[in-house]
Amino acid sequence: MSTIAPEFRLSRFIASLVDIIFWILLIFTIVGLPIVFIMLFYIKLPVINGQLLTPYLALTWLADPSRTIPIIKSFIHSTFFRVAVFPGFGFAALLAAATIFVERKFLAKMQLRVGPLYCGKIEGILQLMGDGLKLMSKEIIIPAKADKPIFWIGPLLFVGTAGAFVSLIPVAPGWVVANPNVGLLAVFATIGFFPIIVVLSAWAANSKWTFIGGLRALHQMISFEIPLILSLLSIVILSGTLNLSQIVESQKHYWWIVFTPISAIVFFITIIAELERIPFDLPEAESEIVAGWLTEFSGMMYGLIQLGTYLKLYAFAGLFTVLFLGGWNGPMVWPPFPTDIITNGITIGPITAKFPGLPLFDQEMLNGTLWFVIKTVGVILVILLPRGVFPRIRIDMLLHTGWYKWIGLAFVNIFIALGLLYAGVLGPGGLIQ
Amino acid sequence: MVDSIFLALSVLTIGSAIVALEIRSLIYGSIGLMLTLSGIAGFFLLLDAPFVAMFQLSVYVGSIAVLILFTVMLVRRELIFNKIEDSRRRYAGIGLMIIMMLGIGTIIIGSGLKSMETDTASVDYKKIGEDFLTYYSPALIVMALILASAVIGALALARREDVTSDQRAD
Repeated sequence: MSTIAPEFRLSRFIASLVDIIFWILLIFTIVGLPIVFIMLFYIKLPVINGQLLTPYLALTWLADPSRTIPIIKSFIHSTFFRVAVFPGFGFAALLAAATIFVERKFLAKMQLRVGPLYCGKIEGILQLMGDGLKLMSKEIIIPAKADKPIFWIGPLLFVGTAGAFVSLIPVAPGWVVANPNVGLLAVFATIGFFPIIVVLSAWAANSKWTFIGGLRALHQMISFEIPLILSLLSIVILSGTLNLSQIVESQKHYWWIVFTPISAIVFFITIIAELERIPFDLPEAESEIVAGWLTEFSGMMYGLIQLGTYLKLYAFAGLFTVLFLGGWNGPMVWPPFPTDIITNGITIGPITAKFPGLPLFDQEMLNGTLWFVIKTVGVILVILLPRGVFPRIRIDMLLHTGWYKWIGLAFVNIFIALGLLYAGVLGPGGLIQ
Repeated sequence: MVDSIFLALSVLTIGSAIVALEIRSLIYGSIGLMLTLSGIAGFFLLLDAPFVAMFQLSVYVGSIAVLILFTVMLVRRELIFNKIEDSRRRYAGIGLMIIMMLGIGTIIIGSGLKSMETDTASVDYKKIGEDFLTYYSPALIVMALILASAVIGALALARREDVTSDQRAD
């Protein structure tokens, strides 16, 4: 049992919830309903289609699926839904939150620990919610001689840039927030903003730990950005386009990782370095420089940076899936929507409900999303894995491998790709289409 | 719509350029420089050249501005900057700028280039690549030679023979 709250019993908690609900219902019946009726007595109700719109009629219309499903469907195809919910922020934040919890449990199991256990009764599944509430209720402390404008805006810019990166990742055919023709270049431009934000917020905190961490982050990100960009050029050469959706479509029959394994390895290691994860977590090395460039952030500012970091992790894993693992391509395993529901509706006893406008999502989109999520979660797990295995490396070894070895290795696959292209094996008009 | 975006971008670009020149804090000056360069990327987007805009962002904002930040943070500024407070220089600079702007402005207004076309398709980057490899190939070769010589020169300057690499054990 938890030692923090030894008197806690789940049954008492549920009993108190039931108690609160009982009192709310009682007070609403005695006080709320008369007020509603008095208001209805004085308000002149509108007449629609020759019918007086009483609240009962309004609720009946709201519950009628033939009237609400088209509204939901048009909302699903709006830009706001794309930005806020499905391929955009909501979906990515959900995956990022799941990643935080899975990382803690996964590392614990690797090291024969138990990980989060008490919060939420079942293997600690409510730990993340508890952490979020804790971060929101914590005080935001700003160091006395900090540069306040930059210090305040740093976490917001970090989350904003990570969100911009997420918006470029195509999830299913046609389901992407922003689909520019120069998508891969837009990804490079977005990645270039991270070191600026990191070093500015590290400088603004006016602490030696943050400054050392910020300079380390700057060194590391700049030296690994070049092999990152070079390793993706072989994909551009093979697929002949910079648009990420078209790159996915070009992998209909085989994944590019088959022809560019060296690029995939270089890209994978550079994304671990860009994400500042072990073994490249020098900017946040907690045993050397407290928490690196995150030292002075507290409360929800730290929470925002953490959210941005995991959004970035999802975006990089999604980019790996899109470029090397075929994105949403995969065998059609999602069952088709049952046609008799569309034609006949659902019959429950004497009532038959018809649902015009179903299905909400087409089969290809659901299947593509399924495959994309499976591959991305696999890549995320492989990114999490080194944290339980490897020690941290030294900064000079990191810079040496970054500037000498990875850049050299990144060129190898470009020449292989060019060779395949000029030999007429791949590319437009090649032997394998 | 396009005109208002153009005006907003112009105010952003010129305003942050003035901030970059005039503000006391070097960090804020480099942030102003970043905003100026981003504003220029916005102009490229407005001119239907997203390819150039993305390169402007990733090269100028992502690399050069970061290098400037790096330099500002690592070097003590008393060592490299002497404070020269001379109001006559400032007025001379402003006067020179006004004369140049008037000259360029008369040329542009006289050239008949007065309106922006907004409904043209964006420039295809494949066309840029084709032009570089066919008609403009001498320019490409000259650029490649200049860049290669710059890289070799930088390596030659950065090379230090007095340091032995006994610290590194990799």
